[in-house]
Amino acid sequence: MSNRPLIEHFQAMVRMRLFDEICMEGFRSREIHGELHTGIGQEAIAAGLAAALASVDALVSTHRNHMHALAKGVDPRALMAEIFEKETGLCRGRGGHMHPFDRKTNFSATGIVGSSLPVALGYAYAFWIEEQPNVGVAVTGDGGTNTGAFHECMNIAGAWKLPFVVVVENNAYAISVPIASVLATPTIAERAAAYGAWGRKVDGRDVEAVADAFAEAMGHARSGKGPAILEATCQRFQGHYEGDHDTYRTREEKKRMRAEDDPIALARGKLLASGEATEPELDAIVGESRQRYGAMLAAVRADPSPPAKEFRRFLFVA
Amino acid sequence: MSRNLSCSQIVAEAIGIEMERDERIVVLGEDVGAIGGVFGATRDLQRRFGDKRVRDMPISEMAFTGMGVGLAMAGYRPIVEVMFADFIGACLEQVYNAMAKIPFMSGGTMRMPMVLKTAGGCIGSAAQHSQCLWGLFAHLPGMKVVTPGSPYDYKGLMASALEGEDPVVYIEHQSQMSKKAATFRHGAEVPAERYTVPIGKAAVARQGRDLTLVTLSACVEQSLEAAETLFSEHIDVEVVDLRTVVPMDIETVAGSVARTQRLLVVDEDYLSFGVSGEVVARVVELLGTTAVKQVGRHGNPDVPVPAAKTLEDAVLPRAGSIANAVRRMAAAS
Ligand SMILES: Cc1ncc(C[n+]2csc(CCOP(=O)(O)OP(=O)(O)O)c2C)c(N)n1
Repeated sequence: MSNRPLIEHFQAMVRMRLFDEICMEGFRSREIHGELHTGIGQEAIAAGLAAALASVDALVSTHRNHMHALAKGVDPRALMAEIFEKETGLCRGRGGHMHPFDRKTNFSATGIVGSSLPVALGYAYAFWIEEQPNVGVAVTGDGGTNTGAFHECMNIAGAWKLPFVVVVENNAYAISVPIASVLATPTIAERAAAYGAWGRKVDGRDVEAVADAFAEAMGHARSGKGPAILEATCQRFQGHYEGDHDTYRTREEKKRMRAEDDPIALARGKLLASGEATEPELDAIVGESRQRYGAMLAAVRADPSPPAKEFRRFLFVA
Repeated sequence: MSRNLSCSQIVAEAIGIEMERDERIVVLGEDVGAIGGVFGATRDLQRRFGDKRVRDMPISEMAFTGMGVGLAMAGYRPIVEVMFADFIGACLEQVYNAMAKIPFMSGGTMRMPMVLKTAGGCIGSAAQHSQCLWGLFAHLPGMKVVTPGSPYDYKGLMASALEGEDPVVYIEHQSQMSKKAATFRHGAEVPAERYTVPIGKAAVARQGRDLTLVTLSACVEQSLEAAETLFSEHIDVEVVDLRTVVPMDIETVAGSVARTQRLLVVDEDYLSFGVSGEVVARVVELLGTTAVKQVGRHGNPDVPVPAAKTLEDAVLPRAGSIANAVRRMAAAS
């Protein structure tokens, strides 16, 4: 059982959403000039990972990575600056939104679907040969589980009982393709049996359910029992990327998910029902976070862009 | 009256015409069916031809690229779409060891009429979503590589690719997919009816006397824009659009260089070990070292495309930097 109070999860989710809303603003203003994928609607999964992740664990994420970075403890200021393509960013504006790397927190990401798994497996192997109780965690979307890399990695991890956990954010679509139309089994979690792995499907709108299941998966991997697959179902509220016409989902479907599947609203409801928090307290959390990120955006905007003449810098160490 | 279609509409139109003509053509790829492609280049095809011939694939590039190979060997004419050229890493195995080599390895007994359709070039999404990679495909023997840079060629080269017997890599430029035909300086007129553009024939996109600028894909438009600016500075640039990298129409290029004696190759792809070096080497082989007074290359200086716009602008050839490259050559001549 994760023992992080729901109010803390709530705060984390609120911050994640505000962070991505600020990114959307940067996209609209063209300060972010390439693709942008937000995780709005999926906050409960990232927030649910945070409690069971030690800073020495490695997390490798996807194109939709901002929330996982925040969950891993990446400095939000440096992350925002990176997404806004600034010299002060995590990677000095070289990587951008799809490619943040942070040595301090063992966090990284990839824009190539499925490619998070092999890298996380490499970390897992390192921890295994060093006999460290750390875990290599890969996040992938549902779509990413249909890559060959998924099978290859799960097999290797299962064969040698490597400390490897795969978190599947199942938001039902890979861009426009409904995942159900391209899966051989009803769930992704049930594939675990084929690899001698721990497997579970959870309601990814429920931050506590995610936190509990993830803690269990991590415990399994940490104790030398081998890999785990945690499938968490959720809805992506925005298009696949900002600017996506999103014609593959009906207006009603999108309205309904915002009304019924919003993890932040669900947590708010629970907190109020249990009396753990009052409306004004929760509103204060939102207000405080909004102020904090608003100030961060203003500071990031004042940061310099990478100097054009340094385009070759960092290609080689020597 | 010109029909002002976007390039992605033109590609879809070309594929549709070919699919009507030949029912062995099938289309496999991510998002190609229900939404008609992330760039819209397969729009309406699933509705018209059904979901067996136009199939939305899971993110399983290795599987469906290999399926293209198997389908071709089973008598079909598959178009396999790999959404961005950058993703070729997930399935290069099936491309360069199977699609490209089987016709040869089989002693000509196997045919591989497969089109690998992909989008290359940069629209701002950094190192893993901005590569051209035509030089990579061209380096690997056995594939024709076509790189349309005008609306007219998007249609005609697709028709040729789909009627031929050889494997073809067809590389669209991301930045041109939603661009309307009428905004192009070159090849803006696209007939509604079927036509083909031969694979292996370059085009002189602009005539000029002072320097031969050889380029391809979206850099054709950028170079034509640069040429207009330079003309007002009394530098008269001839722009040659390669159109296809393999086979390369070096005769057209050399014919132009023989007149201008100056050659600049502009390529959005990585500079080294690629198309630009190849063009220069072949021109010199054909014309000899004394026929050419000046040679230059302008391309990505071998760095991954950076996220920041300031850096991206510093590494990618655009009209302004192309004009500067020509000016530098003019000043040194
Ligand atoms: C190998 C590869 N193929 C295709 C893509 C293009 N692409 C980017 S995201 C995406 C869908 C991913 O779906 P999923 O894994 O479910 O993650 P989600 O976007 O839903 O979070 C696709 C097809 C890619 N980046 N890499």
